[in-house]
Amino acid sequence: MKSRVRELREACGWSQAQLGERLDVSRQTINAIETGKYDPSLPLAFRIAREFAEPIESIFLFEDVP
Amino acid sequence: MDASSARLSLRAVALILLAAAVALRLLAPTAPEWASVLILLSAVGIGVVSLSRRATACDGAPAALQRRYTRDVLIGMGAYTVLLFVSLLLLRNVEAPVLRALIALMPVAPIALVLRAMVHFVRGVDELQQRIEFEAVCIAAALVAFAYMTAGFLQAARVIDVPASAAMLWVFPLLCGTYGIAKAVIARRYR
Repeated sequence: MKSRVRELREACGWSQAQLGERLDVSRQTINAIETGKYDPSLPLAFRIAREFAEPIESIFLFEDVP
Repeated sequence: MDASSARLSLRAVALILLAAAVALRLLAPTAPEWASVLILLSAVGIGVVSLSRRATACDGAPAALQRRYTRDVLIGMGAYTVLLFVSLLLLRNVEAPVLRALIALMPVAPIALVLRAMVHFVRGVDELQQRIEFEAVCIAAALVAFAYMTAGFLQAARVIDVPASAAMLWVFPLLCGTYGIAKAVIARRYR
């Protein structure tokens, strides 16, 4: 799944490790979410949305694969 | 202890076990062959796990959790090595079946502690790392079960003849080794 996590994180001036610390996940997890290799669970997606003060659907861009 | 020290500690344990396996063959030639093979396999298993930790950098785990895991594994494997030697020495002089059973089971207790440490570790890591661990365990269990079933068919057809005691003892080291390799491969997907 595509997301705006990298864009939002960089806008806040945080490193992957710093965002991971704020969300209580690893830097590896943040990297995997940013590169679209891992789709976060719903609770983690909500925590990310709350961290950036944005609606969840504006951060995670769902693409219906035919 | 940071992640790098943890990996070094695991490698040190693997080397100690390797030396113990060689020492057992040289110093106690009458000891059963499966004992040194089991220690050797444990060394290989821990070596593979330490390599897989390098591959994943295991940065899904908080430092405190890694420290606790490494400490518990070191204590468990150290106690296992000592108790295995003690058990083998005692078994030479004990004939009573109940006592022999108790002595033979002595090395199992520290392995249970290592398993407990593994469960704590998996419960403490974040959701991506849990997913990697879960996939690795599933693949390891499937591969080892497949290998055993294949060997079982060959044994039933009398093509091979693996002693039952050796086959049973190899399950855990094989699972650990396959789990370590599977984890390293799966973790690469998420880099």
